[in-house]
Amino acid sequence: MELYEMPAYELSKMLREKKCSSTELTKSVLGRAKATDEKVGAYLTICEEEALKKAAEVDEKLGKENLHPLAGIPIGIKDNISTKGVLTTCASKMLYNYVPPFDAFVTGKVKAADMVITGKLNMDEFAMGSSTENSHFKKTHNPHNLDCVPGGSSGGSAAAVAAGSAVISLGSDTGGSIRMPASYCGVVGLKPTYGAVSRYGLVAFASSLDQIGPFGRNVTDTAMLTGVICGNDPMDATSAAREYPDFAASLNSDVSGLKIGIPKEYFGDGVDDAVKQSVMNAVKELESKGAVLVDISLPSTKYALNAYYIISSAEASSNLARFDGVKYGYRTENYDSLIDMYEKTRSEGFGDEVKRRIMLGTFVLSSGFFDAYYKKAKLVAQEIVKEFDEAFTKCDVIATPATPGTAFKLGENMGDPTKMYAADICTVTVNIAGLPAISVPCGKVNNMPVGLQFIGRKFSEQTLLNAAYAVEKNIGEAAPVNV
Amino acid sequence: MEYETIVGLEVHAELNTKTKIYCSCKNAFGLEVNTQICPICTGMPGTLPTLNEKVVEYAVKMGHATNCSINNVCKQDRKNYFYPDLPKAYQISQSDIPLCEHGYVDIMLDGEEKRIGITRIHIEEDAGKMLHNDAFQGSLVDFNRCGVPLIEIVSEPDMRSSAEAKAYLETLKSILQYIDISDCKMQEGSIRCDVNVSVRPKGSTEFGTRCEMKNVNSFSAAMRAIDYESNRQIEAIERGETINQETRRWDDMKGMNFLLRSKEDAQDYRYFPEPDLTTIYIPKEKVEELKSQIPELPNAKIKRYVKELGIPQTDAELIAENLPRCRLFDDCIELGGVSPKNVSNWILADVSKYMNETGKDIAESNLTAEKLVKIIKLIESGSISNNSGKIIFEEIMQNNADIDKVIEEKGLAQISDDSAIEKIVNDVLSANQKSVDDYRGGKTNALGFLVGQCMKASKGQANPAKCKELVLKYLES
Amino acid sequence: MAIDVKHLAKLARLRIEDEKLARFEKDMESIVSMVEQLPELTGDASGLDPEHPMKLREDIPGTDKLSRAELLSNAPKTQAGCVVVPKTVE
Repeated sequence: MELYEMPAYELSKMLREKKCSSTELTKSVLGRAKATDEKVGAYLTICEEEALKKAAEVDEKLGKENLHPLAGIPIGIKDNISTKGVLTTCASKMLYNYVPPFDAFVTGKVKAADMVITGKLNMDEFAMGSSTENSHFKKTHNPHNLDCVPGGSSGGSAAAVAAGSAVISLGSDTGGSIRMPASYCGVVGLKPTYGAVSRYGLVAFASSLDQIGPFGRNVTDTAMLTGVICGNDPMDATSAAREYPDFAASLNSDVSGLKIGIPKEYFGDGVDDAVKQSVMNAVKELESKGAVLVDISLPSTKYALNAYYIISSAEASSNLARFDGVKYGYRTENYDSLIDMYEKTRSEGFGDEVKRRIMLGTFVLSSGFFDAYYKKAKLVAQEIVKEFDEAFTKCDVIATPATPGTAFKLGENMGDPTKMYAADICTVTVNIAGLPAISVPCGKVNNMPVGLQFIGRKFSEQTLLNAAYAVEKNIGEAAPVNV
Repeated sequence: MEYETIVGLEVHAELNTKTKIYCSCKNAFGLEVNTQICPICTGMPGTLPTLNEKVVEYAVKMGHATNCSINNVCKQDRKNYFYPDLPKAYQISQSDIPLCEHGYVDIMLDGEEKRIGITRIHIEEDAGKMLHNDAFQGSLVDFNRCGVPLIEIVSEPDMRSSAEAKAYLETLKSILQYIDISDCKMQEGSIRCDVNVSVRPKGSTEFGTRCEMKNVNSFSAAMRAIDYESNRQIEAIERGETINQETRRWDDMKGMNFLLRSKEDAQDYRYFPEPDLTTIYIPKEKVEELKSQIPELPNAKIKRYVKELGIPQTDAELIAENLPRCRLFDDCIELGGVSPKNVSNWILADVSKYMNETGKDIAESNLTAEKLVKIIKLIESGSISNNSGKIIFEEIMQNNADIDKVIEEKGLAQISDDSAIEKIVNDVLSANQKSVDDYRGGKTNALGFLVGQCMKASKGQANPAKCKELVLKYLES
Repeated sequence: MAIDVKHLAKLARLRIEDEKLARFEKDMESIVSMVEQLPELTGDASGLDPEHPMKLREDIPGTDKLSRAELLSNAPKTQAGCVVVPKTVE
């Protein structure tokens, strides 16, 4: 077995027992990236030199210092998370040359844990998309079937872990951008509670919805990485001031007495029957182990997608206004005035999907439309919060499909934006309500992975990881896919 | 037809906090370009704002000082527009729920008090500065000022002349200084205002269409701008034109304003709640605590000076409008034992003259309330002459001299002892029999001569009042 | 609902080429007609939450500041320690 195929928790032990070195491990992962990435296209930037330097540093310290369990483990980072001195492009022409002079909070945490950053991972431009086809630079392919999309927007993060070109990775989730690609690529992806992970240094898409989260091929690795990134940050006013447990050490697959809510709205017409079946089979398996299934209803779910696109686009239109060719990134070649420079820079620098979202956001905030769109969407959001609160009086976690179907073919949804938006139908409510949710592989349909989503109360990451751990116990951990 | 001018003002005051409003960069003026900046105030991707607690406290204080109600639960909003001096392309401000609203200030104009309503006070961030140079093709952007904390104080359209507007601005300025939340340095742009002007026929109760003027950078410019705009509108109406709601730019050099944009081009700022910041909540106790920190404000001081201390209205205003002066005055009165009127005279004459000439602040000079009170006491008791007081004052200011030593070294002690003066008077009178006769013959100005001779004989040390008293006593006997 | 794409583009400082205009109009119309399907709800949408107020920052200057050169290193055009833009006054 190659080192790149091993789970992080196993590698952690091997490094400590000197059964391998971080340098060997890093070389193995980088080698895998080189061997597969031409086909998968997960990486935008590979940091070979820095990674090997860091690995050598860790090898030097191993056994001498008390290091973090993930020290020396290679990790890939989504390209919208700031990495000091390393390109952070958000997969946009607008930031094709942008090198942040500072680290994101999570990058700092990853470095402090002595993890080895292998590179920056592909995504939909500015995290807007559900297929990673909106990247300005390249398309990422699903390692399970190269004709299919990996999902999005954190497609590179999911595909890299699935293909073994990263042991674990970081993505971001605004409306499902971690859980959906995790589901499509057959890996575990966690979207933490809003406020659990600092957003400082995450290039903002929709500030009230964005959250950084981990990917792993198994629940234990995911739990370990969750522990690294959760924590209060005074630099983020929306960061929660609280302590977090050692998620990995506390993992427990005992589900006896766990009340699992089954919301009928997530098993309706828009969801593929085989996917529903796969999810229900996994849930029934938990029932047989002592979990209690509870029927619940979340009626405002049918408006969630609309509210989500209004709120997220409104915030995006403002967040992306700073890309104007003045301070960083792309500036058009020829211009004859300030306005001309602004318009050309932004028109040439942004892709069409980003432009559509900016225009939608501009529209819903503009004079005369604010109340009918933005305000109404916020009221829907409040209803969604109330319904979740109500649901969590009856159950501990809610189980749903992570996606309405399995990974679709590249190009399949590119012609119709609203059809692409519908892929987020199972995931957006979680962001609107600021809740944590995890996608864990629960089976396959037509040889493509299906993700089961558990949604929990705020700051119930441990409960979600435990539930996912129980599912994983039944179907086994994922291994890197042959590409 | 007679017209009435209606003025409303939006005043922006920079707060003198140590750091900027949303990042921990120093809030400092006049430093080298782009040296007081960080990823946050330059709007680097991924950066987030954190609100400075002092900004909230200062704004609440201003709210208290202007009799506002405080919205102790409020939020911040984004105002979206593109300009190179605004790195995020939105200004974090407050839209529908300002920190303070529904207040007022009383202004004094020609001895009359008038109440001006305060619509609202909110917190927001300043923008950077554009630098232009004719020799250079482009414009340069200096981000140092980005994120400097501002409060915007919006008045009701309650002013009826440029003079009222100026009095209102002076009142706001003195309040800002009294509660020590702004340096109020006009030349550094730490107070700026937008002026709204409309006119209407005198007696009418409906408002005319207003025009807003930007780029008004001093109080005197505000007066000129208001007078110009009011005349422009009256002339237009007289010509039969209608006034359009528009934004105009005041050019103080040319003494004219120019159309910046019409209502149709009004910017759509697309305000929405700032998602990077959550609810601002100031506990009621904190709101009250801040209220208790508000010192006696200028208007109250003036009233007290006039009523309780017998200071003339204009003198009281002159003292109260200047914080260092007023502090010195209050300290002297607290030390007591001197006539408030004499203290006021000294501060408005010698002290102010010295400060003006040297450009120094009282606080950084050698003068203390104790010293000033001592000088005035010595004069009032007749121990030194008024002139000697001035000499001692100079010595203090220049050399930080000890008062007793100066009196001794310069021989400034005044002779007030009756027997000593009596001897001098007797000597002078017997040596000037002619003048004595002149006086008794009706030439009363001989009195002055005789007193002068007594002062001369005493080498200026005799108490002139005492001399005069004794000379008169003899002449009239 | 017809969407004035040109107006929105102007507000957002975008320029939509003529040949792409029809496509954007069609897309925006279908997106807007999707998202506008919302229930009639009334209430306060300000989102104020005094139970969970924001922690404010102490007014203490930071110490680990980046240099001007580092902060302007990404700027497309600089001169004399400043970022350069097309002239903003005539």
